Amino acid sequence: MKRAIRFLLVLSVLLALVMGAAGQDSYAEGTEISLLQWSHFVPRYDEWFDAYAADWGEANGVGVTVDHVNFTELFSTLAAEIDAGEGHTIVEVLFSPASFIEGLHDLRDINEAAAAAHGERAATCQAASYLPVSDTYYAYAHGYVPDPGDYDIQLWTDAGYPNGPATYDDLLAGGRAIFEATGIPVGIGMSPELDSRMANRAAIWSYGGSVQDEDENVVLNSAETIAAVKYLAQLQNEAMTDEVFGWTAASNNQALIAGEVSYILNSNSAYRSLQKIDEAAAANIGFTPALAGPAGAYASSHVWQIYVIPNYVDGDELAAAKQFILDHTENYSEATYYSELYNFPCHPSTVAELDGWLEEDPWGSQPPNKFEVLKTVNDWSVHLGFPGVTNPAVSQVFAESIIPNMVAKVALGEQSAEDAVAEAHERVEEIFNEWRAKGLVGGGDM
Amino acid sequence: MASVTGLSNPRAYLLDNRRFVGIMFLLPALVYILLLVGFPFLLAIAFGFSDVTVGNTDLSFVGFRNYEAVWENNIFRQVFGNTVMFTLVSQFFILIFANILAIIFTQEFTGKWFARFIFILPWATPVSLAAIGWLYMFDTKLSPVDYLLLQTGFLGPDGVWGPGRNLLWLARPALSQVSVIFVQVWRMTPLATVILMAGLSSIPTDILDQAEVDGSRFMRTLLQIKLPLILPIMVIALLFSMITMFGDMTVVYLLTRGGPIDYTRILGLYSFQIGIEGGNLAQGAAMALFAFPLLLALAIVMLRVASRAEVR
Repeated sequence: MKRAIRFLLVLSVLLALVMGAAGQDSYAEGTEISLLQWSHFVPRYDEWFDAYAADWGEANGVGVTVDHVNFTELFSTLAAEIDAGEGHTIVEVLFSPASFIEGLHDLRDINEAAAAAHGERAATCQAASYLPVSDTYYAYAHGYVPDPGDYDIQLWTDAGYPNGPATYDDLLAGGRAIFEATGIPVGIGMSPELDSRMANRAAIWSYGGSVQDEDENVVLNSAETIAAVKYLAQLQNEAMTDEVFGWTAASNNQALIAGEVSYILNSNSAYRSLQKIDEAAAANIGFTPALAGPAGAYASSHVWQIYVIPNYVDGDELAAAKQFILDHTENYSEATYYSELYNFPCHPSTVAELDGWLEEDPWGSQPPNKFEVLKTVNDWSVHLGFPGVTNPAVSQVFAESIIPNMVAKVALGEQSAEDAVAEAHERVEEIFNEWRAKGLVGGGDM
Repeated sequence: MASVTGLSNPRAYLLDNRRFVGIMFLLPALVYILLLVGFPFLLAIAFGFSDVTVGNTDLSFVGFRNYEAVWENNIFRQVFGNTVMFTLVSQFFILIFANILAIIFTQEFTGKWFARFIFILPWATPVSLAAIGWLYMFDTKLSPVDYLLLQTGFLGPDGVWGPGRNLLWLARPALSQVSVIFVQVWRMTPLATVILMAGLSSIPTDILDQAEVDGSRFMRTLLQIKLPLILPIMVIALLFSMITMFGDMTVVYLLTRGGPIDYTRILGLYSFQIGIEGGNLAQGAAMALFAFPLLLALAIVMLRVASRAEVR
C-alpha cells in the first residue's frame, strides 16, 4: 500500500513537471534561466551543450544563457551569489556542495521524478546530492566521471603484468620493478590537490579504512588506515620520486603524455589528450578498474556533475530550471557521447548505448574495447564520504587536504604512520564536531 | 555682468575654502576605503563572531567559539608560523635589494629610463599572471631553471646537485619555501625601490654637496646621511610590503597550494580553504582576522619609528 501511494505521488510530481513544461506557453513571457558551469575538460562537450541549451530555450520559450568558468571558481562564485541573493539560476559544481545546503533549493521533486522515469541511480551520485540528517536533496547529480588506473602496457608487460596491476600488491611489486629497471615511476600524487586527495582515499578504502563510517562517525584512526598509509609510504619510497609531493591537477596528464610514468589514477581525459597527440602512444595505454586491497577494490569517482539551484530563484525561472535539468537527463546519451565518454550517467538507463560504446569506442581507441573495464564501474566507483554520505564535514576535510598531507608526512619520514593518522584524526574530529553543532552532520554517538 | 574676482560667486567661494577643497580631495580615497576596505573588514569581524556558512549568511552570535577553534587547530599554528617566516625573510631581502637598486637608479647612466621600465615590470604584472609564469619556471619536469643548471653541469649524472635532472622546486619542502620567498621578493622589490627612489630624490642637494666638499666618501654618505634621511620613507615602504605580503594568497595558491604537506601554507590560503572551499565561512573569517592585531601593532610601531626619525 505504502509503495502504491509513493508511486502515485512520484507519478503526480512527474506529470506536473512534464505538463508544466509541455509547451512554450507554460512560462511567463520573458522567462530566462542562466547556467554557470565549468569549462569542460573535453571542449566538444561544451560545444554540444551550448547548442543544446539554446535549442531547449527556443523550444520552451525560455531565454537561456550559459557561462563557463574554470572549475576552481565554481564554489567561490556560488558562495558569492548566494550571499548576494542573486546570480545564476543553475550552477553546476564538480564536488558535493553539501556545505551550501542552507542556501539551496531542496530538489527532492526532480530527483524523485528522475528516479521514477529512469530507475535507480548510481550510489556515487545519490551520496553526493542527498543529506540524510536533514532528509534533503540539496542537489541533482546528473553525471559522474570514473577514475580508473591508466598503465603503460609495454612496461607492465615487461614486468610480468600484461593486463596491468590488479591489486595494490601488484602495483608495488610491478611499479618497483619498472622503476628500478627503467627509472620510470608510478604517479600517485601526495600533495594538497584534487587527484592526490582521491587517489590516497582509494588506497585507504581498499585497505578497509575510511574517514567516517556509514553513520557519519569519525573512524579515521584505525589499524586499516594505518596499514594503508604505510603501504602508500612504501610505494612512494620504492616506486616513485619526490615529484608526487608537488603533484598538481595537470601532473597526471603531463606525465602520461610525456611517457614518464608507468601508472596513474585519472579520468579518461589524460588518455584522450594523448590520443589526439600520438595515436600509437595512446594505443600503449591500458585501463584497470580500482585496485584490490585487503578489504576490497574502491576508487573515488573523479568528479561529479552536480546541478544546484540557489534559494533566490523562484517562480517560472525555478520551474523552467527544473524542467531543463530533467530534459538534460533525458538526453544523456548525447552528453556522454559528446564528452567522449568522460561523463557517465547517474541514471544508467538513460544511456542504453553505453556498454556498446565501451566495447567499441566511438572515438577511435585502439584496441576499440579499451574502455571495457569500465562496464563494472558502478561496483567500485564511490564518493568522497564513502561508506557514509558526502556531508559538509567530509567536504571540509577534502578541502583542507588532510588525507594526502597525512600520507606525505609518513612518506617523507617526518612522522610514523600511527602518529600521522592520530593527528589527522584529531583534526577531522574537530571539523565533524563543528558541522555537527550546526546540525548538518549525523553520528557522534560513538 | 560676472564679477572679475569671483567673490560674488558662491561656487568660487567654496573653491577658495581650503577646508572644503581638502575634504573634496580626500573624499574619493575616503569613499574607497569605507566601501572596499572598511565594509568588508567589518563584515569579516561580524562573520568571525557568528556561525555563518557559505549557504547561510544569517548572522547569529557565537562569541569567541570560532577563535577558540582556530587556536586549537594544530595546522593553524604552523600556518601562522609560515606566514610570519615568509614575510620576515622576504622583507629582509626586499630591503637589501630595494636599497641597492634605488641607489643605482638615482645615478645617471645611459639607458636609465629603459632599465627602470624593465625593472618596474614585475610590479606592473598582475600577480596571478606572474605566479603562473613562475609556476612554469619551477615546473618539476620542464623547468627552464633546471635546464640552465643541467647545461652548466650543476644537475645531471655528474652534477654537483645530481644525479637527477630536476631539482623539483615545488615538491621538496625547503626548495618550495625558497621558491615562494623568491617570487615574493621578485614581485615586491620594485615597489619598495620606487618608494626609496622617491626618498633619495627628496634629499636636499646642498646637504650632499656639503658632504662632498667635506670629503665624505660613498659609503659614509650613504650610511650617515642618505639612509638616516630616508629612514621614515623606508619604514613606510617596509610596512606596505609587509601588509601586502601578509594578506596575499595568490602566489602560494597558484604555485604550491600550500604544499608539500603544509610547508608553504599561509594564513590567507588556509582561511580561503576553510571558509570558501570547505564552506565554514565563520571559521575562515576568524582565521583571517588573527593577523589583524599583529599587523595593527606592527603598523603603530613602525609609524612611530618613522615619525620619530622624521622629527630628528
